[in-house]
Amino acid sequence: MSPQPLVGIVVVSHSWALAQAAVALAHEMAPDPRLRVSMAAGLDTTTFGTDAARISQAIIEADAGAGVVVIMDLGSAVLAADLALEFLDEELRNRVLLCAAPMVEGLIVAAVTAAGGGDRREVAAEANNALAAKRVQLNLPSPEVVAPESISASQQDAGAVATFIVENRQGLHLRPAAQLVQLVRSLDANVTLINRTTGVGPVPASSLSRVETLGALAGHLIEVNATGLEADKVIAQIVSMAAHRFHAPNATTDQRPKAARPPTDSVERRIGIGPTQRLTVPSELVVAGTPTQDAEQEWLVLTQAVSAVQIKVQSVREQAAVELGEHQATIFDAHLMLLDDPALLDDVRDRINAGEPAASAWAGGIATIRSRFEALPDPYLRARAADVQAVGDDVLRALLGTDSETRQDTRSSTAASILIAADLTPAEVVGLDVAQVIAIVLADGSPTDHSAILARAKGIPLLNGMGSHVLTIPDGTLVALDTVTRELVVDPSATILESFRNRALTANQAYETARTRSAAAAITSDGLQIQVGANLASLDDALAAATSGADEAGLVRTEFLFLDRSAAPDVDEQARAYLELASAMGGRRLTLRTLDVGGDKPLGYAPTPAETNPFLGLRGLRLSLAQPELIADQLLAIVRTAHDTPVSVLFPMVSTVNELMQARQLLDSAIARDGRGLPQGFTVGIMIEVPAAALKAAAFAPYVDFFSIGTNDLTQYTLAAQRGNRAVAAIADPLDPSVIRLIDMVCHAAGDKPVAVCGELAADAAATSLLVGLGVRALSVVPNAVPTIKQSVRAVNSIRARELADRAIDADGADAVRTLFVDPN
Amino acid sequence: MGLTSSYTSSPVGRLIVSAGPDLASLDRWIREFARVIEVHQGFLTELDSAIGDADHGTNMRRGMSAVVTSLDAAAARSESPETALAMFKSVGMTLVSTVGGASGPLYGTFFLRMATASGDVVAMSATEFATVLQAGLAGIVQRGKPEAGDKTMYDSLLPACTALDASLAAGLDLDQALTAASAAADAGRDATTSMQAHKGRASYLGERSIGHQDPGATSAALLVAAAVTAFRQPE
Repeated sequence: MSPQPLVGIVVVSHSWALAQAAVALAHEMAPDPRLRVSMAAGLDTTTFGTDAARISQAIIEADAGAGVVVIMDLGSAVLAADLALEFLDEELRNRVLLCAAPMVEGLIVAAVTAAGGGDRREVAAEANNALAAKRVQLNLPSPEVVAPESISASQQDAGAVATFIVENRQGLHLRPAAQLVQLVRSLDANVTLINRTTGVGPVPASSLSRVETLGALAGHLIEVNATGLEADKVIAQIVSMAAHRFHAPNATTDQRPKAARPPTDSVERRIGIGPTQRLTVPSELVVAGTPTQDAEQEWLVLTQAVSAVQIKVQSVREQAAVELGEHQATIFDAHLMLLDDPALLDDVRDRINAGEPAASAWAGGIATIRSRFEALPDPYLRARAADVQAVGDDVLRALLGTDSETRQDTRSSTAASILIAADLTPAEVVGLDVAQVIAIVLADGSPTDHSAILARAKGIPLLNGMGSHVLTIPDGTLVALDTVTRELVVDPSATILESFRNRALTANQAYETARTRSAAAAITSDGLQIQVGANLASLDDALAAATSGADEAGLVRTEFLFLDRSAAPDVDEQARAYLELASAMGGRRLTLRTLDVGGDKPLGYAPTPAETNPFLGLRGLRLSLAQPELIADQLLAIVRTAHDTPVSVLFPMVSTVNELMQARQLLDSAIARDGRGLPQGFTVGIMIEVPAAALKAAAFAPYVDFFSIGTNDLTQYTLAAQRGNRAVAAIADPLDPSVIRLIDMVCHAAGDKPVAVCGELAADAAATSLLVGLGVRALSVVPNAVPTIKQSVRAVNSIRARELADRAIDADGADAVRTLFVDPN
Repeated sequence: MGLTSSYTSSPVGRLIVSAGPDLASLDRWIREFARVIEVHQGFLTELDSAIGDADHGTNMRRGMSAVVTSLDAAAARSESPETALAMFKSVGMTLVSTVGGASGPLYGTFFLRMATASGDVVAMSATEFATVLQAGLAGIVQRGKPEAGDKTMYDSLLPACTALDASLAAGLDLDQALTAASAAADAGRDATTSMQAHKGRASYLGERSIGHQDPGATSAALLVAAAVTAFRQPE
């Protein structure tokens, strides 16, 4: 990680939509959050034109100190950009280069080069060469290629050499080439590539446009030559990346590491079949009340332990970045930030100064932060508590000298097996060898925690929350598991094995089909279009959502802006963040849920009274109405954003019409404060999470434009069972007929107002037909699930689904409903 | 450029060869240009649809109506520009942000260069006005790099500026000189019909651009004609 700022990029286009799409594509190719790509396009979102004043503004925004490369479309864009330079002060103007590259090709190459740390001349030179690859493919003579760096003969002679065969089906196309270039640029080595199959090369591996000219197709033999300090390292990593087909950052896309997996029984991450192997439980971390030495000494010991863990996490992060891509690696940035968190360190310091020993002070500080996350109503954010604990435990182990006891391959055999454990930390998941691990079965954990997400990204099927009895399965037992039906069969019969293998094959084909059609609309077999959106809680989610073909952001968990900080984000910061999301989503509609917090003071700057039962207390909209300052600012930011991009606002945890009316008054005040009137296309909806709201949907209907059902909370409140509580989790089944009946009531009462489902049920492909049959017209799911859910919508016949839904309402339990839809005959 | 300081620092005793425009007449010029653009909007777009992308009339009308709106709004707040610099700058910046097509940066640069050349003055002599106009023309050259005969706005503005300079040097007053400049602009505009375009989107047409009058040269001729009307009005 270089501390140097990156070169910024400005896209100037006559068309807002064109620039939006191009920028989204560039972000996908170079998903580095530090990369600034600003756009100045269109006179507004629909009128073609360019505006020199806006271009100069975009240049100012894009500059992080390393200068800016401006990429333009046609004629007047160039004139306007030229004029824009006059509006800049001289110091900045000297750091700006106008680049003659074709817009789309140039932008992508520029983005990748800038993300790799290239200076502005390199970025512009690379972009100018962007047409070279296309010319090679079309067998046109290459124009003069401006080589950003020359290759001398001596560089080729000495140093390390290796070869690899291109395994990517589409060859070394843009995405894998970009991965390779970024790797090369991050290391201190001069690397060249030669296509030994065609004889093209050598070309510098640090230049995306040149690497593309290799014309490396699937099966071609590529020779890598490297010189310099890290020559061996770069060669090893390139060969390893090639074997993993140059992982793309998004696990949903096409480079899952199938080749590195055993070819049988694990064709798709849905199914796992193999012998079990239990991971040993790490020894309990006992924080003894050892008498403290002097406080300075304790603090020193603690900071050393924290530094040691920082180094460890950094190396895990690097591994994750190489193997799983930058997108997944950012999970560990959060870990690093926690280790560096001034609030935590101050708290621990205070405890040490008050006489506590380092280990107990650290444990106390971690417990405070963990409880804040655990108090959040949203399960996705709540799951971060597990990360906090994992990082906290790492430091404790370092402090207590039990560091060596972490579970590193305690398995007796090296044969591929299904791992069984109580839980795994994110770092442990990254450390797993995909060739050795067929699947993972965990007693604890939730589907939204980071370990589960990382396992999915690695392509390892994972079943979690299976209960402690799985820990008693003897090692070496043959088991079969299905992550979709959540079945775990011990000692399966030959028939069951055959059926699981067939499911694996079918699932694999289905996923491939879904992926190729992800960008198309989801239309049922009888012609009904269902919006399939994505749930977002970060900018990365938005980028992933755009990649996986989401029609909109059906739920934005705005809490992510408010957590982990000492003061609320102001209106400007929020509006900027929302616009960034919209931009990452290519201008698709954002459904912004207002702040949904509650419980035990998750926000230090907005204290709430202690409550014995936060789930039935002041949370969601209730809290916002009780302390309207935060929501007033948030609504203003939302209204402002809505003037620039399509936006809906969504109020969480509504129980009474009176609450909604108060919320609408606050919204009216925000519109008045903004002063520009009601934004075009702005719509207002409420979450249906409380049974009372579902039962009164008809009373709410006149005052909303849409409903969004949060099935997670609706299930918990309807069945009075908390899903995180293992003892009652089985009761909290969203397919319970009581919940289905409530969804049905909402759909009826809504009339022509659309009803969406944004809970986990929406991402359950087995429930798609049921939800459409009930009258749900929009589904919002985790970004990765969008292709699958779109495909499952396409298999639905809405008339047949209605008949089945009627039977589901009258079923006697969740299992009966499941049978109805898994085997509808 | 000297002209500004010499005029403002020693107004007394300075020999004014021929009276030039003051702020009020500059304001009338801008508004008159907006009016004729409005009137000729359809014609300009029609010309542009033959050899360009059929938006010159729409773009110029959008830009100039935004200019008038902004002048009116400033007047309503009693914040009308108090110098030629401020007035031309405001016009230029508005055009840059509202015209959209290539005319935005070109006319924008024209007015911004005139702003700088005018300086903080409330009135200028005829020769000063001619110099200011030349500065605007130089801006267009710098921005668009046109040459005479490329079938652009430059083909009417260049002869206009040349005629203005020559007429003033021959001792004509501003009205007479501007009338000559306007006639030269019109002649230059008419000459574009037989030219082949070498700039902008019309150049994609190659020889097929011959036989059509250039919309940019047409709007530029309207700008010069608007000055004749505006500066001639009493008051």
